[in-house]
Amino acid sequence: MNSSFHRYLIATRYALFDHLRNHTALLLLVAFVPVWDFLFWIVVPDAPLSFLLRATHVFLQVNGRDLTLLTAGLNAITLIIGFMFFSSTRKSIAFDHRLILSGYPQSVLILAKLSALIVVSAVVSLYTSLVMFAFWRPGSFPLVWLGFFIIGLTYGTFGLLLGVLVRGELEGFFLIIMVSLLDTSLQNPFGNPIANQDFLKWFPSYAPMQFVVGGAFAQTPPWLYLLYSLAWPLAFTLLGLAIFWWKTRAGKVRTLPHIMPVEASLHGHS
Amino acid sequence: MSEPLLQAQDLYKSFGHRKVLQGVNFSVQPGTLVGIVGENGAGKSTLLRILAGELRPDRGDVLRRGAMGYCPQKVILNETLTVNQHLAYFRAAYNIPDLQRADELVEQLGYQHYRKALVGQLSGGTQQKLNLTLALMHRPQLLLLDEPYQGFDWETYLRFWHLMTDLRSSGCAVLIISHLFFEQKQFDTLYHLQHGSMQLQAPIEPQIASLTGGKEQ
Repeated sequence: MNSSFHRYLIATRYALFDHLRNHTALLLLVAFVPVWDFLFWIVVPDAPLSFLLRATHVFLQVNGRDLTLLTAGLNAITLIIGFMFFSSTRKSIAFDHRLILSGYPQSVLILAKLSALIVVSAVVSLYTSLVMFAFWRPGSFPLVWLGFFIIGLTYGTFGLLLGVLVRGELEGFFLIIMVSLLDTSLQNPFGNPIANQDFLKWFPSYAPMQFVVGGAFAQTPPWLYLLYSLAWPLAFTLLGLAIFWWKTRAGKVRTLPHIMPVEASLHGHS
Repeated sequence: MSEPLLQAQDLYKSFGHRKVLQGVNFSVQPGTLVGIVGENGAGKSTLLRILAGELRPDRGDVLRRGAMGYCPQKVILNETLTVNQHLAYFRAAYNIPDLQRADELVEQLGYQHYRKALVGQLSGGTQQKLNLTLALMHRPQLLLLDEPYQGFDWETYLRFWHLMTDLRSSGCAVLIISHLFFEQKQFDTLYHLQHGSMQLQAPIEPQIASLTGGKEQ
């Protein structure tokens, strides 16, 4: 097997192990998502609500409770995946630096982190979509999943960026929670009657919300918004990985020509 | 005289207004055991991090030859991976064909029963053994160790010094940061890092028997 590909497989596998062993995140995923959805389902009235779908420039008349379930799903994914990637990146940056000093290519580690992000986002968004499915059947399940997947990528890359930027664990968690709440709650006209305001289109969850609502309620999915929704994860990725690269780059050391390796006996005095 | 495996040339490093290194020059030859001592905060760990390539100096050069093993003072491991997974990860990093040397080190340092345990569940001493194994498992020609025995019991501590003298005999250059007075006789060359520069220090006659000749006999 090619050495770089072998290293990529190992790094991806261990990055996934790292997330699997984040028991708090797994517990949040398994328990928090259904409870979160259930609470919204019983609290929010089953009443019509207007939602501005910008792809068609029309106000859709949708069920407020169903729309809120979509917002709840988006919100849950942002919190869980943001937390997972912030926690993992912050804890492993010194270890990653040691691996790089020992010869692991930076580019391979970066690629492995992004691959783990894609797998985790796919699984978490699928689970969240399935939980929501228990309460309500949206127009298109795959499109809702795809929108949830993109918001997973967005907050995963946001977590990655905070993981390389923020030193304190608590500061990072608070930032994720506050940004997520502000971002996702303002998109829902149930909580924010001015959800059709122009400035909201600059928020990270704006385009995924438009896409998810289009997929769940409208006949034509707004594919252009799927493309727009990649802008934030792309920006977070570029910024986060540039800082990761800067922090873990090898130092100013000149390596001179190689000489024969050392063969030390371990058993001489044992 | 053979070519040095490590050369530090006029290294300078400051953190804000605090000048830590102010023109450090020295070299390490193959088959030598070199120690660096100094007060707390003298800049020993900063110097080792620069030599390992973990930190950049403000000025000056580091020249290295051959494969390097680096054991940082703070244990740098991934708590969510097992011992075996760490060994596999670093095998891939060093691009070495097998784990024969790592297996020997695990046996030698006496933590073979923990190979499948998660690192986060290991004691500080066992984590330190793994920290050291990761620096040695690829048969480096140059070893940079920052107080690598913290948390070791006495038996492991003695094994550690046997291992270092074996490595020296086989031609490896070993650089160790030390703060213990009675260790200083172990070194061929001893430097004192003070006020940002290195001074060659005359070997100190220890008050107690040398480690390798003392307890085991």
